Amino acid sequence: MPQTMPDALLPLVVGLPFAAAIVAGFLSTHARGAAALLAGAVAVVDVVLIWVAYPTVAGGGVLLFELEWMPALGLNFVLRMDGFAWLFAGLVAAIGALIVLYARYYMSPEDPVPRFFSFLLAFMGSMTGMVLSGNLIQLAFFWELTSLFSFLLIGYWYHTAQARDGARMALTVTAAGGLCLFAGVLVLGHIVGSYELDRVLASGEHIRAHPLYLTALILILLGALTKSAQFPFHFWLPHAMAAPTPVSAYLHSATLVKAGVFLMARFWPALAGTEAWFWIVGTAGVTTLLIGAYVAIFQHDLKGLLAYSTISHLGLITLLLGLNSEVGLVAAVFHAMNHATFKASLFMAAGIIDHETGTRDIRRLSGLHRFMPFTARLAMVAAAAMAGVPLLNGFLSKEMFFAEALRAPTSHLLIHDLIPVGAVLASAFSVTYSLRFIHGAFFGPDPVDLPRVPREPPSWMRFPVEILVLACIIVGILPAATVGPFLDTAIRSILGEATPQYSLEVWHGLSQPLLMSVVALIGGVALYLALQRHLLKGVEGAPLIRRLDARRIFDRTMVFLSWRLARTLEGVLGTRRLQPQLRLMLCVAALAGLCAVYVRGLGPGNLFPAPPDPALALVWAVGIACAIGAAWKAKFHRLAALILLGVAGLVTCVTFVWFSAPDLALTQLLVEVVTTVLLLLGLRWLPKRFEVGRPPEPRVYTLARHLTDLAIAVIAGVGMAALAFAVMTRTPPELLAQHFLARAYTEGGGTNVVNVILVDFRGFDTLGEITVLGVVALTVFALLRRFRPAADSIELPEQQRDQLAYDAAHPRQTDGETVSDWLLVPSLITRVLFPVIWVIALFLLLRGHDLPGGGFVAGLTAAVALILQYLIGGTRWIEDRLTVQPLRWMGIGLLIATTTGLAAWLFGRPFLTSYFDYLELPLFGTVPLASALFFDIGVFALVIGAATLMLIALAHQSVRGHRVAQASEEGQPTPPPRQAPALAGED
Amino acid sequence: MNPMPASEAMVFSPAVPEIFLACAAMALLMIGVFRRSDESRTLSTLSVATLAIAFVLVVIFGREPARAFEGLFIVDQFAVFMKALVLIGSASAIVLAVRFNANEGLDRFEYPVIVVLATLGMMMMISANDFIALYLGLELQSLSLYVLAAFRRDSVRSTEAGLKYFVLGALSSGLLLYGASLIYGFAGSTGFDALARVLAAGAPESTWIGVVFGLVFVSAGLAFKVSAVPFHMWTPDVYEGAPTPVTAFFAVAPKVAAVALFLRVLTGPFGPLVADWQQVIVVISVGSMLIGAFAAIVQTNIKRLMAYSSIGHVGYAFVGLAAGTEAGVRGVLIYMAIYLFMNLGTFACILCMRQNGRMVEDIEDLAGLSKTHPMVAAAMGTFMFSMAGIPPLAGFFGKVYVFLPAIEAGLVTLAVIGVLTSVVSCFYYLRIVKIMYFDEVVEPFDRPIGREVGAILWATGLVILLFIVYPAPILAPATTAAASLFGG
Repeated sequence: MPQTMPDALLPLVVGLPFAAAIVAGFLSTHARGAAALLAGAVAVVDVVLIWVAYPTVAGGGVLLFELEWMPALGLNFVLRMDGFAWLFAGLVAAIGALIVLYARYYMSPEDPVPRFFSFLLAFMGSMTGMVLSGNLIQLAFFWELTSLFSFLLIGYWYHTAQARDGARMALTVTAAGGLCLFAGVLVLGHIVGSYELDRVLASGEHIRAHPLYLTALILILLGALTKSAQFPFHFWLPHAMAAPTPVSAYLHSATLVKAGVFLMARFWPALAGTEAWFWIVGTAGVTTLLIGAYVAIFQHDLKGLLAYSTISHLGLITLLLGLNSEVGLVAAVFHAMNHATFKASLFMAAGIIDHETGTRDIRRLSGLHRFMPFTARLAMVAAAAMAGVPLLNGFLSKEMFFAEALRAPTSHLLIHDLIPVGAVLASAFSVTYSLRFIHGAFFGPDPVDLPRVPREPPSWMRFPVEILVLACIIVGILPAATVGPFLDTAIRSILGEATPQYSLEVWHGLSQPLLMSVVALIGGVALYLALQRHLLKGVEGAPLIRRLDARRIFDRTMVFLSWRLARTLEGVLGTRRLQPQLRLMLCVAALAGLCAVYVRGLGPGNLFPAPPDPALALVWAVGIACAIGAAWKAKFHRLAALILLGVAGLVTCVTFVWFSAPDLALTQLLVEVVTTVLLLLGLRWLPKRFEVGRPPEPRVYTLARHLTDLAIAVIAGVGMAALAFAVMTRTPPELLAQHFLARAYTEGGGTNVVNVILVDFRGFDTLGEITVLGVVALTVFALLRRFRPAADSIELPEQQRDQLAYDAAHPRQTDGETVSDWLLVPSLITRVLFPVIWVIALFLLLRGHDLPGGGFVAGLTAAVALILQYLIGGTRWIEDRLTVQPLRWMGIGLLIATTTGLAAWLFGRPFLTSYFDYLELPLFGTVPLASALFFDIGVFALVIGAATLMLIALAHQSVRGHRVAQASEEGQPTPPPRQAPALAGED
Repeated sequence: MNPMPASEAMVFSPAVPEIFLACAAMALLMIGVFRRSDESRTLSTLSVATLAIAFVLVVIFGREPARAFEGLFIVDQFAVFMKALVLIGSASAIVLAVRFNANEGLDRFEYPVIVVLATLGMMMMISANDFIALYLGLELQSLSLYVLAAFRRDSVRSTEAGLKYFVLGALSSGLLLYGASLIYGFAGSTGFDALARVLAAGAPESTWIGVVFGLVFVSAGLAFKVSAVPFHMWTPDVYEGAPTPVTAFFAVAPKVAAVALFLRVLTGPFGPLVADWQQVIVVISVGSMLIGAFAAIVQTNIKRLMAYSSIGHVGYAFVGLAAGTEAGVRGVLIYMAIYLFMNLGTFACILCMRQNGRMVEDIEDLAGLSKTHPMVAAAMGTFMFSMAGIPPLAGFFGKVYVFLPAIEAGLVTLAVIGVLTSVVSCFYYLRIVKIMYFDEVVEPFDRPIGREVGAILWATGLVILLFIVYPAPILAPATTAAASLFGG
């Protein structure tokens, strides 16, 4: 294989434009000439580099450049140039060079020109990169880059709203399509098992037979069709005309929109040849061909006309690709080249007209051929090529198209007949709009009040047009001698062995396609004459389908998708309120649990419960009823809910006792009592429910919500119960419990295993835990010290107010007498109970090591005694009579616990090592004496201190609250918040 | 107390970074308390220095995989990678907050200290090798975060955010704990190694249900922490309510840590149950991507938008996890690393949104940013394009790295949904770009934006831009990290 150009030059072809783009980006805003020179030089160098590569690819060789890129993914950066890629790369670079020259004169000095060239170069680089990509991911990558830079180019004049909208629409459509393409190539790579282009192209059979073929096809085609502005995604292209004309000339003739066509042709061996391909690609193509051509006739903007004509021609190419025939592919590639040349020159001509007259509106332009004769002639030739006039390049590819249309490989007769008719019709339309372009702009009377006086452009600005038009003519006359070899190289690189016989002759004899051409030419002229009157009226939009404004549909869709749908979604799914969020979480958790059961099944339980005892069942019924009641009342009556919850807790307690777990029951009981009391105290200070200023909703709704909540609560509860049941009917595995059960007595010297765990086995944890408990108590205290209850909870409770009012109303009563007598008997009993409870607490503490009890429980019991006194006697009463020093209790407790632990060191054992023995006491008999007991005493003291400290913090709210309330009632200025009276434990 | 057998119980060295951080956090707290000054710059500097030292320690002590505390605590390449990310995120959150807190009257020393504590929790989570250790770390982190969310105590929004986060977070922690206890009850251990052994051996049929239930509840609890659908509800409210630097912190470090936890739990002890959790992850992922894409469109507040965006990103990351393969996990790691930098950068931009000394949060307020602050606008644009997954920025590669393994694992539909939702999300990311570049300035933002914010902008922007050229600093460690998780 002759290697005339080292493969390493390929990255240069791609990299050079990017490098130059960065340089151009840093040039000063006014460096117009320098930027153009740079861009031009790069484009020319690219052309030369690509040209140098020709001998290799012409010999059927492939240039390859590989660089390790993302080795973890097995992805390499591969540049691969075969004949087809060479052709497109050449087009991109060559037309790019001409565009740069043209833009040098077109762009106004006021614009930031270096930025323009920077974007243009970057676009050129991405386009070349896309064309030369040797793997799929890289292709999608460069594909997105072209979308991005085309967005920047179209939005170059971002101060106009049209440019902004056009750019955004183009980006939305093409970038979205690009992401679809990305997904598509991922799927394609999955099918093939490799992302290497070579391997993908070689496994066409495998791909088409794969079940994921259709997915991949649709996704990839979405990418290609959006980029090539095919129906129904064609609407972005006309709006992209707000870009500077060089951009339109470049993007919409040779590059951006051809990317889609390129992609379809590139993947032709891998994807084409199926019914799905024919229907999707063919339908899109034929629809676009007709609609584009039809709408183009009625455009008044020169660039708009060209835009729709571009859409139509792209439709033609797409249709050719969709026909599933090799010659169709040849025609498509050939037409893509021809279209690039004549459309670029026409865009540039339109730009010249705009530049020299200040308008592009056909209704205002006329008779320009007298002012710019040379430009007029160039435009006429190019337009004739577009119309398919013989001896020009457009004619040749159109002939091939007609020939292919006649041979459309389909079994459907109707389609078979329709395609040629559609082809002729579209062709006639294209004659009509070409005529309109020329006749409207260059002929007719002299123009009146144009913004500028028309004249010929600078000759260098015309030069690119001249080159391109020359190409149209030469190719048109001598196709086989000029583009023949190039086309052949390109086609061979796609089809390889399957390259068909085709002929690039101008004259094929009097054939059916020629007849169709003639019909189209005559028909087009006739149509133009017939439409003269309508066109002169200057009505906007094409008749019949004016209402079918794709852009409006796009906007509406976008609004629907992005606004209404999203808003509805948010309305349905989103909420800022806490309760629904909690509800959702619970429901999802319950649902997930149900799903798990549904999917896996419960599995057999291997333990069977004894038949339930009626008494226990009764207790349980009470408990369940209370739990349900609590759920029902939770949102509406907190106090009732709390009390019901307390009952449910007690039932749990009873259950523990029933199943012989007295220590657990004891702990449960005390925790239940203490938390209920603390919650009650806390409830006192919650603000009242406040009414939202909403009209009251019908009772039905309230009830419905109520019932829903209840149902959720019941379902969650039943679920948990079921789960617990499931857990308990299965043999547990070897758990830690056995370990502790076995060692509690032999190693810890106690028979109350829970207590032994707490004070011995996990003594270190307990030490940490009681420390935390102390910290928490201090924190609660510190937080509540500054807390002021909500205003509406400061008032005296209703009951006390009533009682005071009763005293005031009855002269025999002294003020406050009823209140002080209230609940006298219970309070007396409670006071009597105080020492009793303390004795119980001590008892629990001492026997804790072997029997239910222990420091924690004992501490809680003692605290309950105190809490009861506070509840029944009131804060002031109790504190006048009893000094509690919670801080000291806590401090001493911690000290004892730690010292016990440290004592072990005295005996040369690790921290907290325990010791136990039996002690003969004269009165009590043998008492077990373990060092753990001292530790337990520490726990006991700390728990008393901590619980009391929290209690005091809460209780003092009432002292403080009432004082403030009284002060304001008496009309005095509210005293500054003071500390509550100095009590033990406070400061 | 019985004498402990001389085993690995007393091996501390793998946990040196955590021990250091714990001591340092307490020391910082004491310094803060006894200085009796509300000025937080000194403490912020010290905190960042602490985190930097911790970073070095993590790298030094993480060379060899090791276990400590009788296997409760594990250090491997995975832990090192995730901890490095978390430390970067936390340090940046402190740096970002310095100026903000001073301006907003939030200049209290507790902020950096709580961030350090939260970081400690996260590092514990990442290194947890046992449900108890996991819960310990998780709660330390969560409690710190609840406080941070309500850090602006005199603002109703902020306190509401904190309270909501607390209530919901407590519920989710409860779920997780319940799940963990079920698993313990059925599998007989809380240690991940032991669980993996038991589950791989195939426990008797009767215990499966408990394990699966446990898995469901643990996943639910963890899903809350990463704010994945359907446990995402709190995210927008909390992101909006919390002070912006706190939101930035929320969006990066805790999320990385929670994802790490998810990865470790699912691939470690529950590795044998991959068929069970794969479905769950697919559902979570699809839901997150959809909600993240659609709900974000209607947002007008940039912080709420970022909240939905972060929900979406978790969805994308989970596409990789759903694959359940080593390549998939590597994808998640890379995705999270890139996500971290993108988000930090974006929040640095959001912190520049200040008009006349007052923070603004409406997307519309960004109008014309390109004219008044071209560099900030360029940075923000870069981050938006990257989040949308448009090449050549890092975000694109993040998506490639998660979608590819998913497709290789046969989850084609999931990957396609992923790509389609990123089309939708393009819409709102690009809207921000459009507003910055195309709309007219209404009221310019204050300047200067501050050195700290500027530095973060530059650093994160460069990472995002240069990933394509030099991905190795993220790729290589992510690869070894993923391998270490799969016992490589």
